[in-house]
Amino acid sequence: MLEIKNLHVTVDGKEILKGIDLDIGAGEVHAIMGPNGSGKSTLSYVLAGRDGYEVTKGSVRFKGKDLLDMSVDERAAAGVFLAFQYPLEIPGVTTMNFLKTALNAQRKARGEEELDAVRFLKLVREKAKPLNVTDDMLKRALNVGYSGGEKKRAEVLQMSLLEPSLAVLDETDSGLDIDALKTVAEGVNALRSPERAMIVITHYQRLLDYIVPDVVHVLSNGRIVKTGGKELAHELEKSGYAGYGADAA
Amino acid sequence: MSEKATQKLVETYRGAQSALPGAGGWLARRRETAIDAFTQTGLPHRRLEEWKYTDLRQVLEKAILVPAPAHDGALVLPELHSATAFSAIDRYVLVFVNGVYQPGLSQLAHLSKGAELCALAEVLHEQWAKDIVERRFDDARQAEDIVDLNTALMSDGACLRIRKGVKLDKPLHLFFLGADAGASHTRNLILLENEAEATIFETHMGEVASFADIVTDVALGEGAKLNHVKLQDESSEAIHLSTMRTRLAASSKLSSFTLTLGCGVSRGQNFVLFSGEGAEANVDGAYALKGKQHLDQFCVIDHAVPGCTSHTLFKGVLDGASEGVFQGKVVVRPQAQKTDGRQMTHALLLSRDAAMNAKPELEIYADDVQCAHGSTVGELSKDAIFYLRSRGIPEAEARRLLVLAFLDETLELAPHEDARDALKLLVSDWFSEAGL
Ligand SMILES: Nc1ncnc2c1ncn2[C@@H]1O[C@H](COP(=O)(O)OP(=O)(O)OP(=O)(O)O)[C@@H](O)[C@H]1O
Ligand SMILES: [Mg+2]
Repeated sequence: MLEIKNLHVTVDGKEILKGIDLDIGAGEVHAIMGPNGSGKSTLSYVLAGRDGYEVTKGSVRFKGKDLLDMSVDERAAAGVFLAFQYPLEIPGVTTMNFLKTALNAQRKARGEEELDAVRFLKLVREKAKPLNVTDDMLKRALNVGYSGGEKKRAEVLQMSLLEPSLAVLDETDSGLDIDALKTVAEGVNALRSPERAMIVITHYQRLLDYIVPDVVHVLSNGRIVKTGGKELAHELEKSGYAGYGADAA
Repeated sequence: MSEKATQKLVETYRGAQSALPGAGGWLARRRETAIDAFTQTGLPHRRLEEWKYTDLRQVLEKAILVPAPAHDGALVLPELHSATAFSAIDRYVLVFVNGVYQPGLSQLAHLSKGAELCALAEVLHEQWAKDIVERRFDDARQAEDIVDLNTALMSDGACLRIRKGVKLDKPLHLFFLGADAGASHTRNLILLENEAEATIFETHMGEVASFADIVTDVALGEGAKLNHVKLQDESSEAIHLSTMRTRLAASSKLSSFTLTLGCGVSRGQNFVLFSGEGAEANVDGAYALKGKQHLDQFCVIDHAVPGCTSHTLFKGVLDGASEGVFQGKVVVRPQAQKTDGRQMTHALLLSRDAAMNAKPELEIYADDVQCAHGSTVGELSKDAIFYLRSRGIPEAEARRLLVLAFLDETLELAPHEDARDALKLLVSDWFSEAGL
């Protein structure tokens, strides 16, 4: 599904990712942990195609295609989704209108029929309910005035509506209370399938109790310094990043 | 008076004088005073503070200043979006072509009782018309001076008087079409007596190099209510000069909204004078400019009495090498305690070559007031565009969504629901056409 080879990325002239290798197969969930500033969000932005992240070396292939060659919205339509660490507020665009525009843009790009208002509304309600996203939230401007937890739930709603084949969740658990964490985890788990892959970026093993990963990576100072099974998260919880070259923070 | 355009306009007046409405009456004398004053001052130019960004002298130098011919022969109203924008709304329509009233194209059947509507020439014998024409607002002299030109040359216009307590049952649509190149000088007179109510739509369109000089004089009696929605969609060669002067008696309310999409050079002036307590004026607008369009919004609100509320919000987007100007002033006189005055202008630049000059001002001489003013000029947020694109929304669509969201705040202020929806559609179409 996703093959990252020797990826080097520079931001504002500073090398942040210093040779990442990552292979994620369909159906797999990979967790990435690592100290602040180690480059986790940078990796997620590069995958989504944000401006200002210069790939100086290496390659990223997604479903066999060169991901770096695709525009931001092409990547999304091809099935890449990033749940932002800090979701943006967009005044004046209602969440409902945004979701409809996004879903139909992706369907159109894939040559599928666009959903009319009625079918869309039904679908969105169905997806919103288990995430406790209320009609009132849907009517408001996107993320404007949402609490930290509401923003994260809204990101997961976007994901479950858009049904990506590769979801990158950047600290979707931060700022969530324990009930919201469970709700979000259930939303994510509902999407797990043999056709989908996920990258779950987190600082806390707690999330991984709910979204159980197949593989855990430790990212430190722009490199993956350790890879292991789900028990690695528990180890990290106990001992911290000391001993993983965690000098970047 | 030395420069050419002023001279030409004065000559036009001399030539047309005897044929203009009101010859031999009070208006003929009033026209003389006006042309003398105009000859003295000449056309305004950039050295005058109030015309700093729009040098009318220079703008009119190459314009066609002779009156556009009276349009004869069959005429079909254009089927353009903006021409039909309000056509689904049940309304009265008064059509002016090249500034001349066209009864044949108008729809005025069954005007409500207590509402009188006629063309300028027919109203001149009435005292109210005289009173309204004689008014001066005097708080922005150099901006108001240009009204003299209109007073001297005004040849037609819509005159509406609504009697006490009467509510016009449907909106009245004043439709101005420029069919041939040339000048027109229009004067609209609107009197809403105490507790009277009306909604007026005003559209200006055309595909020609017109010079439209429009003055709309409004007087609102106590408790009267006027909703005004203006749509400007003229050609990129058109010059549009309009002044709306509204005097509000106690507890009356004006809600005026202007959407400008098409114009070459446009100067829109709004003067509001509160003469009775507890009145409210909302003067708002939206615009979307491209190419070399130039739009100058000039807005003076005079709080001469206590306890009045005025809100102004202009928002626009500028693409290409277009230029926007907002000059505004809220004056709060010493006696005008409990004034609530707000004036805001926000612009989004969509291109490097576009420019915006904004200068909202407050002049406050009373102490117990709530006043605010502000202006911002910005660009679309790259982060916001990225966020939308990361959900699969193509860049052009993302930009369109964000710009419409930006304009939505002010479009919401258009004081008639169906008209508001029509304007929103037009703005949305503007983006498809602009190919942003
Ligand atoms: N525009 C920029 N210019 C210079 N350095 C930047 C820029 N953006 C990010 N960085 C740096 O890149 C490094 C990696 O940042 P990144 O956000 O990827 O870390 P992270 O692992 O997600 O951290 P956290 O756990 O705090 O979210 C940090 O040192 C950060 O300061
Ligand atoms: Mg981060």
